[in-house]
Amino acid sequence: MGSFLGVFMDATLITLVLALAASGLAVVFGLIGVVNMGHGAFLTLGAYFTWAATQAGLPFLLAVLVSALAVGAVGLLLEIALIRHFYDRPFETLLLTWGMFLIITELIKIAFGTDFRNIASPLPGTLSLGDLQIPAYRLVVSLFTILLLLGLGLLLFRTSMGLRVRALVQQQESAALLGLNIALLYRQVFTLGAALAGLAGALISPMLSIDPYIGNVFLVRSFFVVTLGGLGQILGGTVVGSFIIGGSETLFALFSSQVVAQTIVFVLAIVLLRFRPTGLLGSGRR
Amino acid sequence: MSMAVVHGRARGSRPGEEVPAAVLFLILAAIPLVTSGYVVYILPQYMLYGILAMSLALLWGNVGILSFGQAAFFALGGYALGIAMKQPLGVNPAYVGLLVALAAAALVAGLVGWFLFSAGVRDSYFVLVTLALSIIAEQIAVSQSQWTGGWNGLFLMRMTLTLGSALEYPLYEDIPAYYAVLLVMVVTYTALRGLTRSRFGKILAGIRENESRMTSLGISTSLYKTLAFSVSAAVASLSGALYGMHSGFVSPSLGGVLFSTEIVVWVAIAGRSSLLAALIGGIAVSSISNLMSAITPQYWQLCIGILFIVVIAYFRGGVAAALPSLVERFRSQP
Repeated sequence: MGSFLGVFMDATLITLVLALAASGLAVVFGLIGVVNMGHGAFLTLGAYFTWAATQAGLPFLLAVLVSALAVGAVGLLLEIALIRHFYDRPFETLLLTWGMFLIITELIKIAFGTDFRNIASPLPGTLSLGDLQIPAYRLVVSLFTILLLLGLGLLLFRTSMGLRVRALVQQQESAALLGLNIALLYRQVFTLGAALAGLAGALISPMLSIDPYIGNVFLVRSFFVVTLGGLGQILGGTVVGSFIIGGSETLFALFSSQVVAQTIVFVLAIVLLRFRPTGLLGSGRR
Repeated sequence: MSMAVVHGRARGSRPGEEVPAAVLFLILAAIPLVTSGYVVYILPQYMLYGILAMSLALLWGNVGILSFGQAAFFALGGYALGIAMKQPLGVNPAYVGLLVALAAAALVAGLVGWFLFSAGVRDSYFVLVTLALSIIAEQIAVSQSQWTGGWNGLFLMRMTLTLGSALEYPLYEDIPAYYAVLLVMVVTYTALRGLTRSRFGKILAGIRENESRMTSLGISTSLYKTLAFSVSAAVASLSGALYGMHSGFVSPSLGGVLFSTEIVVWVAIAGRSSLLAALIGGIAVSSISNLMSAITPQYWQLCIGILFIVVIAYFRGGVAAALPSLVERFRSQP
């Protein structure tokens, strides 16, 4: 039964890493409904900032922190320059953020080139659990993801900022009439989402070879994670969605190749989206 | 080609698009007479991109449905023709391949379209699904390598036009291939233009403007949207099949997300609501891209990205809508 435990562990780790990658989108798309096609580019940017910072001699954790803040700052700038004018036009936002993706990707290519970059894993070893080998770094990142999602849940349900955001999500006009600074809230949420994407890109960067398109892998998956989990379901929705997209891929890959498993998962996601457009944990509000 | 846009005032199905369209076709028809070599070889591929761009404009400009998955159908066409031409068939395998390409794309789009539209999947969600379609297409092209050649791609032969035993006209040379593609382009443009001006096209425009009103008029909007998606997919597939035949090669990246969104960029910049603008956009942007990638590939892509954002933010109708008003402004200031 060792292999069963191995598969279970694999699926769990992949689920949580995907949840980490999707968390920024869960905030931006899930809460304020911005179809951020630039999400993947934010992830890529986080990875490259981390690479540059570690090359400059910063310790890894500091590099991660700097990258998250820097991507948050990029998100803030883009929000001020572009996004804020289009909150009431989701379709234009989709196209604009796709343009952001194009521009950020090209800037990355100009600044860093298209060669693969690698970051040495800060925790290279594996943990042995019986005859099971678990990569230590992935495990730590997965545990961190759980804390991060809990933290986001606390932020949303236990702080006054969270209260204001939830008011905004439920009744924008009433919230504005009650004196909430809607524009500022939108800006804060979008920046938080960008910073989370940067953080995810930074933490994921040692797990793979970095190229200007690594974010693409996560972009569509993240969208399916958020829509399948249910918009606004930051905690449970993100985990459930990530399991369907990431975890089930591991299970399907047992019976077929990795590529075929990915195809099956995408088809499954489309079918689920059709029958549960509000997501598995969604309230049916939309 | 810019002249054609200037005179076009191209927007929607207004009259007046025919003249610039005819001028464009005549210029394209004259090009092999005055030049030869690389231009005559490569231009048909850009014309096929132009057809692909029209397939998106039909959907986006006329029905208001944006698809990030046109490349999936483009690749489907290329692979269908390539696989059919490898089979030992009694009749001309290229004809069979083209029919299979058209039918397969229309069928896939019909099934996917009905599955989604009938459940009310729309706008951003439809974009996401079509984006996923592109990824699926690329993955199938990679994983089913016994048919598709996997990462190595699939090599194709140029086809031979036959009519029983009476006619045999190979397209191996560049000039016959050029005029064959030009003819397909003109026919496709004319057919799509006729379609947008027919009753069918008016219903599609009605759905774009006010879907619930069309529903209350007793029109099955999901059916019409599905049909439009099917036609659009078939046109994309046709261009992909001919592209594969002309370039002699199809690879998984033809179906991928990046190529899919490139099409969206062409059409957005040129003007989504005019078939002619989309056609010119497809030809112009891809030829300029080819030219510029030789000089400064990175900065050119950056420019395209910036131009795309500017168009989306400020010029919703793209160049086709912006040019006439600019010309007016110049005229009024002597």
